Amino acid sequence: MSSIKEPAQQRASVLQGTLDMLILRTLLYGPAHGHQIGKHIQRTTNDFLQMQHGSLYPALHRLERRGWVTSKWETAPDRNREFKYYQLTDKGRKQLAVEESQWKQMAEAVARVMWPGTEES
Amino acid sequence: MRWWQIRKRDADLERELQSDLELEEEEQRANGLSAEEARHATRRAFGNTTLIREHIHETWGWAPVERLLQDARYAMRQLWRSPGFSIVAMLTLALGIGATTAIFTLVYDVMLRPLPFAQPDRLVTIKEKVAEWSNLYPTLPVSANHFTFWQQHNRTFHSMAIMQQYSVPLGASGRPLQVEALWATPGIFSVLQIEPELGRKFTVDEAQQGHEHVAILTYDLWYQQFAGDPGILGKIISLNGFPYSIIGVMPQSFRMPSIQTMATIGSTHRELPIGVLVPLALSKERLAEEMGDLNYFGLARLKAGTSIAAANAELNALQHTIAANLPADVKATLSAEVTPFQETLVGNNRKPLMILLGAVVGLLLVGCVNVANLLLSRAVSQKRQMAVAAALGASRAELVRMAIRETAVLAVLGGGLGVLLAAAIVPGMQRYLPPALDFRGPLHLDWAGVGCALLLAVLATLAAGAAPAFMVSRTAPQEVLHSGSRLTSESPRSLQARRVLVAIEAAVSVALVLMTGLLTASLVKLMAVDRGFTTERTITATVDLPSESYHDDQKRAAFYREVLERMNSLPGVEHAAFTSILPLMGDGWGDMARVTGDNRPFTQLPLESFRSVSPQYFSAIGLRLAAGKAFSEGDWGKNLALVSQKTAKSLWPGKDPLGQQFSRGNQPFTVMGVVVDARTVSLAKPDPMLIYVPYWYRVEPMAGLVVRTHQDPSEMADVIRQTIWSVDRGVPVPTVRTLGGMVEDSVANQRFEMDLLLLFAVSALFLAGLGVYGVLTYSVTQRYREMGLRLALGAQRANVYWLVLRDGLLPVAIGAIVGIAVAFGSARVVSSLLFEVSPYDPVLSAGAVGVLLAIGTTACLLPARRAAAVEPMQALRTE
Repeated sequence: MSSIKEPAQQRASVLQGTLDMLILRTLLYGPAHGHQIGKHIQRTTNDFLQMQHGSLYPALHRLERRGWVTSKWETAPDRNREFKYYQLTDKGRKQLAVEESQWKQMAEAVARVMWPGTEES
Repeated sequence: MRWWQIRKRDADLERELQSDLELEEEEQRANGLSAEEARHATRRAFGNTTLIREHIHETWGWAPVERLLQDARYAMRQLWRSPGFSIVAMLTLALGIGATTAIFTLVYDVMLRPLPFAQPDRLVTIKEKVAEWSNLYPTLPVSANHFTFWQQHNRTFHSMAIMQQYSVPLGASGRPLQVEALWATPGIFSVLQIEPELGRKFTVDEAQQGHEHVAILTYDLWYQQFAGDPGILGKIISLNGFPYSIIGVMPQSFRMPSIQTMATIGSTHRELPIGVLVPLALSKERLAEEMGDLNYFGLARLKAGTSIAAANAELNALQHTIAANLPADVKATLSAEVTPFQETLVGNNRKPLMILLGAVVGLLLVGCVNVANLLLSRAVSQKRQMAVAAALGASRAELVRMAIRETAVLAVLGGGLGVLLAAAIVPGMQRYLPPALDFRGPLHLDWAGVGCALLLAVLATLAAGAAPAFMVSRTAPQEVLHSGSRLTSESPRSLQARRVLVAIEAAVSVALVLMTGLLTASLVKLMAVDRGFTTERTITATVDLPSESYHDDQKRAAFYREVLERMNSLPGVEHAAFTSILPLMGDGWGDMARVTGDNRPFTQLPLESFRSVSPQYFSAIGLRLAAGKAFSEGDWGKNLALVSQKTAKSLWPGKDPLGQQFSRGNQPFTVMGVVVDARTVSLAKPDPMLIYVPYWYRVEPMAGLVVRTHQDPSEMADVIRQTIWSVDRGVPVPTVRTLGGMVEDSVANQRFEMDLLLLFAVSALFLAGLGVYGVLTYSVTQRYREMGLRLALGAQRANVYWLVLRDGLLPVAIGAIVGIAVAFGSARVVSSLLFEVSPYDPVLSAGAVGVLLAIGTTACLLPARRAAAVEPMQALRTE
């Protein structure tokens, strides 16, 4: 049991930081429910990032617990059914900015190591 | 998030996942998939929704609790499946934990609970020591004269006070109420750091003679007797026949230990709580008495940061100064002893309590060992289950958790039951509190006790669950699963562990049985000892003459004479007599007899215990005369005396004591009889030197009446009261008891200890027997085939029988030897509690081992019979 679990957890933790950022960024367009968020990320990356439901929902609940998003049950405009909509809070917006700049620094740092010279010219 | 929100949150989460799931499904259908395919695709995309939910639960932070509840549920299910085992284990733990908690509560209340005063650790009692009198009185109360000197010259005490406590009549008309009054110097308020809630404290002036008729009531007395009258201040009450003006009421929280009960040695007479405080006014004569007035209880508060040792050193230095300045006729060697107040209150009750606590912990240990044993046999039968779990990838930590959770649930259930049991037992233990410490109100199970029970439950889990858990954690799955046998055999290591456990049980049981035997033998000897007086058909009463109307010896003697005349003329009465102190109620008044011609300073004179008695006292309690005769009413007014044999031997060695003269104070006395040495002060030791003087010479306001009757003495109680009241209705008669009852009461505490120990020892024996039986039955089942093989190869049934018996009794015998060794090792602790019994008593030791072996053998018989009855053919054919 435990021998399979460990690598999976490692992978999730690598993804975790970026997943939070992607969700927050997606919610910048307006409130959305879990399915929409997942589909949006998948579609915008041309299905490069396959959305794992197993990490999407825990991530949403984690964000809510930290106060970066709030949730509300609302009827979808195109369907006669209620969905749980997540909405970005002010705190969430600030967090997004922080994570974005961190990610940018990270990406640049990685790029400098991976393709030296291209940046300096 | 609160745990009760979890259910709601979880429902919400489920709904969310469900709605998104449905949406996905719809979209898949819209992409052209069939309903069936769409559902499968969606399931694939979402994966395991339960797992998702569990992950989300983890983010909520309550996962450990959930796992715990899950474990508990699982363990409950497992326990439910074997109710016999569960109930036995649970009750064993409940009994052990409950009994230990109850005894702990008693011990805590007596020895550890802080006294209800500010900074109670700074409160100390002061006792004096006079080297010349140390044979009779190792320590003495404080003298007012010395106290005054200390008060003026000390630098280590914040404040000090001396006090006395008496039971006095309150109210003047009809039958007065008896209350306990504390006479104290004004320092008591700063010593105890208390203030009256209503009114004021005593002033220094009020501690002067002529101004001392003021009183402060305790809250309870004010509430019960004066209906909490808010205008009570300034009212006059009659106390001891004198008018006292009420100047204050103490707060409800004020509880003062009775100092009377500490002074009366060897008495279990229960006092009422203190009801009223009055100033102790010391006359000039008293203050001038340099060695003659060692009568006060000394209580003091140390200055902050002062150690007891420092206070002791200073006080002893002051005592040295006092002794150096004593006049020649009262020359004495003085010292003092400063003791924490709490320690003084506990007195010599510490050791019996510690022994009880030790015994009950022993019982708990035996209980835990038994449960461990049961768990071990269960662990063996669950080996396959564990092996499967291990093979499926359960980590060692998870296996241990699986193994220990049953124990934990058992301990929690047992602990819970134990707390209930303790809560039921504890209030009944109130009457076993030392009288001096029985002042805090009703005894009940409190948080300290519950905390103790919790701790015990945890310890029990560890003690009982450790061995099985250890065994389980070493499970090698392939071995267990490979062996096809359904009857998985127990490893030699586990069998060894179980034998060690049985040996521990045997050791603890034998030590408990021996201890119980020693104390029982002591008590039997104590009750059978020749006490020198008889108790048949004898009833006693105490009277308490109000000081105001009976202020001198003549008045008191006249009253006693009148009562005796009326009592002795009653048809049912054989003898009626007064004595200044009843048998077993303390040693009474100590004083010195000066033999004519002896001119030493009086502090160097031998100290005797004096008793004022009426002529028929000796025949009333059956105290025999060795020589001479008792005085009679016809000798009224004459200074005659009877002495005990011990007194005669030390005052007039080698001479005929009859007709000898001695003086007490400045009164000469003639010895007219010698009384045999008896045990009227304490059953445990022979009386000190006693001198009996007639009651017409001197009598105290408090006295005891002894009546030997022709009929059942208990019917006389009312007659005695009525006769006393026919002489004076205003005389309180606080107690009426049979003399036999007083003898019983004097050993009530020992009897209680013995009863408890007996209960513990019997329980431990029973558990040990159960342990032996369990282990042996199990090993016989395991060795079923082996037995069959032995018999098939020609072994006699008797051989098999002995094999099993020896197997079962070996650990018991080893345990018994260890137990006796432990008991002998702790002999020093016990010996002071024993009466004419050696802690190494060979008969009792052999008896304890014998009892254990008998129980062990009984427990072995059934399994041995079963082993011997194995049918070889059948045994070898199975499997």
